[in-house]
Amino acid sequence: MIGTLRRPLRPLARILKARDRGENTEEIERENLRLRHEEMRDRARARAEGRLLILGLAFFMAFGTIGLRMGVLASTDAEEPRASVSGNPIIGQRADIVDRNGRILATNFETHALYAQPPQMIDPHYAAAQLVDIFPELDHDRLVRDFTGERRFLWVRRQISPEQMQAVHDIGEPGLLFGPREMRLYPNGPIAAHIMGGASYGREGVDAAEVIGVAGLERHFDDLLRDPANEGAPLELSIDLTIQSTMEEVLNNGMTLMNAAGAAAVMMDIHTGEIVAMASLPDFDPNNRPRPLTSGDQADSPLFNRALQGVYELGSVFKIFTVAQAMELGLVNANTMIDTEGPLEWGRFRIRDFHDYGDELSTTDVIVRSSNIGTARIALMIGEARQRDFLERLGFLEATPVEMVEGPTGQPITPRNWSEISTMTISYGHGLSVSPLHLAAGYASLLNGGTLVEPTLLRQDGPQNGPRIVSESVSRRSVEMLRAVVERGTASLGEVAGYEVGGKTGTADKPRPQGGYYDDRVIATFAGVFPASEPQYVFVVTLDEPIETSGDEPRRTAGWTAVPVAAEMIRRTAPLLGLRPSVELGTLSNVTVTSSE
Amino acid sequence: MSYLEYNTRYVPTGLRKLLHVHWPIVLLLTAVAGYGFLMLYSVSGGRPGLWMEPQMERFALGMTMMIVFAMIPVWFYRNMAFVAYFIALALVVAVEFVGVTGGGAQRWIDLGFMRLQPSELMKIGVVVALAAYYDWLPQHKVSHPLWLVLPLLIIFVPTAFVVLQPDLGTAILLLAGGGAMMFFAGVHWAYFATVFSAAGGLVWAVMASRGTDWQILENYQYRRIDIFLDPASDPLDAGYNITQATIALGSGGWTGRGFMQGTQTRLDFLPEAHTDFIFTTLAEEFGFVGAFTLLILYALIIFFCVASALTNTNRFAALVTLGVAVTFFLYFAVNMSMVMGLAPVVGVPLPLVSYGGSAMLVLLIAFGLVQSAHVHKPR
Repeated sequence: MIGTLRRPLRPLARILKARDRGENTEEIERENLRLRHEEMRDRARARAEGRLLILGLAFFMAFGTIGLRMGVLASTDAEEPRASVSGNPIIGQRADIVDRNGRILATNFETHALYAQPPQMIDPHYAAAQLVDIFPELDHDRLVRDFTGERRFLWVRRQISPEQMQAVHDIGEPGLLFGPREMRLYPNGPIAAHIMGGASYGREGVDAAEVIGVAGLERHFDDLLRDPANEGAPLELSIDLTIQSTMEEVLNNGMTLMNAAGAAAVMMDIHTGEIVAMASLPDFDPNNRPRPLTSGDQADSPLFNRALQGVYELGSVFKIFTVAQAMELGLVNANTMIDTEGPLEWGRFRIRDFHDYGDELSTTDVIVRSSNIGTARIALMIGEARQRDFLERLGFLEATPVEMVEGPTGQPITPRNWSEISTMTISYGHGLSVSPLHLAAGYASLLNGGTLVEPTLLRQDGPQNGPRIVSESVSRRSVEMLRAVVERGTASLGEVAGYEVGGKTGTADKPRPQGGYYDDRVIATFAGVFPASEPQYVFVVTLDEPIETSGDEPRRTAGWTAVPVAAEMIRRTAPLLGLRPSVELGTLSNVTVTSSE
Repeated sequence: MSYLEYNTRYVPTGLRKLLHVHWPIVLLLTAVAGYGFLMLYSVSGGRPGLWMEPQMERFALGMTMMIVFAMIPVWFYRNMAFVAYFIALALVVAVEFVGVTGGGAQRWIDLGFMRLQPSELMKIGVVVALAAYYDWLPQHKVSHPLWLVLPLLIIFVPTAFVVLQPDLGTAILLLAGGGAMMFFAGVHWAYFATVFSAAGGLVWAVMASRGTDWQILENYQYRRIDIFLDPASDPLDAGYNITQATIALGSGGWTGRGFMQGTQTRLDFLPEAHTDFIFTTLAEEFGFVGAFTLLILYALIIFFCVASALTNTNRFAALVTLGVAVTFFLYFAVNMSMVMGLAPVVGVPLPLVSYGGSAMLVLLIAFGLVQSAHVHKPR
């Protein structure tokens, strides 16, 4: 160390002694110089080694820290950090929706949102110009204003395709960033569009976004679909995708052929209440849901679900309810003769038939020929109170309980004052407006053996076994009457070989908005059941303002418009429903049976 | 004078020198560089021509230069130390006027065939100059305040220019490397204690003054400190690099995702994946095992350098060897710390692995000096 006493090179005492002895004193000096060097070297070595030891310790600690840190990081799970300011985490997941056979109706798709952080931008003007090239709908001036202004963050596009993402990436602008998110995808496009409704984004974050239902099932089951507790279990519907798409195709062709403005159809399992297919035309693509109309009648929008939301006076299809109730009450049987002499005058009202059916018809023929007068006379026997009660039990006075957010908007329109004349008109389907779905549910309840079923869109495990509406024999008679309508009545075009279709036509004049009815605009409906020997499905086909023009003069009645469309629908869907056609052997006249004997 | 003073008993001559090159270090350097080639191939997405091949060419050139430098007697470097130092300093100053701006900072001089980063050269210049100075200075004067002036000037003048560029990473490396050289030379520990406590006191004062009337820094500067301490508080902005890098390390786990399987870098989440942040790719694809292996390779290089310096009685040679080892150590320690969130993000490459010409060339030349010191060690 500096400051310690240094060894003297020529210690006086030793030199004097050495001189006395006559020795060379330089030896002593050289010896001491050597010793001093050695001491210095030892000190330097000690210090250098001490320094290197400290260095080694520092190195070791640094290595240890880095190695430890590596271990800590390696053992942690990789987790995307979230800004600490955000509140509840955004749950982007949403369960799939599948049809009754597990086929996908709605699923999710990984996509990206594009957002910008202007403070990180290198060349906002270039970025804006390039973005407009990729997304022509963006406004260049507005982008430049946003990118060069005070904003620190802005969404550019909510979802972009992979190609667009690559193109934006190639701009090379670090201030343009992508956030992963799920997007709702309806792989079947417009098929079952009204049932699905649609989805949009709720709360949006850069690393996830809420997908929320905006209409239809998606909205009704929004909480369920988004509930993480379900662990992504898909929502299973009663819809059969194959039947649904066939129905839509047939209905669309029928609508075009019959020059109709709109159309709706429902097919429903008679025992379980499961809606196997439900269509409304015109439709839309839920992947790109159109905006609601801002003016005019919402019923003109493709978003409008005619099968559920559209309430119409459906006409003669209601007659079967009147007849069935009368039979249930024991007022008539299938062969009771009913007075059909017309016109029936009641106060200032006159009730007419389409044709003059003579003085009287059997109850069955009142249905088969569709006599308004006969039905009205039966209704008079029933009376207002009992008719009203019966229709209420069938669910015709309330909106359907089906699981769609639009359900309550399908509220029936009932007469303000349920008078005798109301009873008479309602008995043949005027004065009470219900949706096609109401009608299908009513037919199912009447024809399945007589127990109430409520329409549902969810897959059921067994029959509903609701409260009894009519007895089994009345139910049976009703089916037979409907079958007779097809065999020899107004719906003869509805015959489908092997599937024993039974049904009732209804042609109702459309009401004018300003009161009264149009002469030349009708709602044509065919509602029925198949196969008649063992009813399993009910169907309703409704065409809005159809005109069938193949004949000499335009025909509008349901027998010429809705019935052939329904027949085609049944012809194509019945095999898909797993029903075996019953073939009468007598028709196989060309087959020669040979015997080996 | 001292035990470090060279006292030649046997020094190899001619081609015999090749036998005395420290081949384990050569091998280790090649292994580390090989790691780097793999990573550059992976980061480029399987396009070797993009970064890997140029890097290989430069590594070959650098290794050749290392061997050539190893053949030159170490006392030549001692005699030329200040010449080299002033050339490097001149280049650093020249960068201010003719430099090419890259990545927002002025750091390059375009030599035509390559772009030179003089601040890299400066690190070696400082090491060599300090080693020569302390070789010349008698041991008992080392701690005298008067004799501290020149070494401090040797360190601070280039540091000031580097800070102006601005290149904070290199400045830190210069300061720390120069300080370590003075420490090895035997400057009294009280000086270091004073400097450290003054720095600690300054940090304390800065943090304690926050929110008071005598606040030392601006608010946004405090905000940056906060982000360094807790990157998650601003994952999109200043904390982005760090958070993405730590995610990469975490997703690699213990054994990694496999070569070419890293997502963070592959999906371009990481900035400068082929330069300063290449360690994240390595950690993600090869996991803890791969990253720790690299750390061991680096540690072995340091170990061999220190061992060589310990047995070298030539003071200049020993000091140069230690200086190069410390510089090398600082490179990867700062880089890894910054990637793993232990240190703020400053632009320091991962030595021999990051893509970059001058850093690699200068490092290999520096190891040429280490080899020369080893070859010409008195035996």
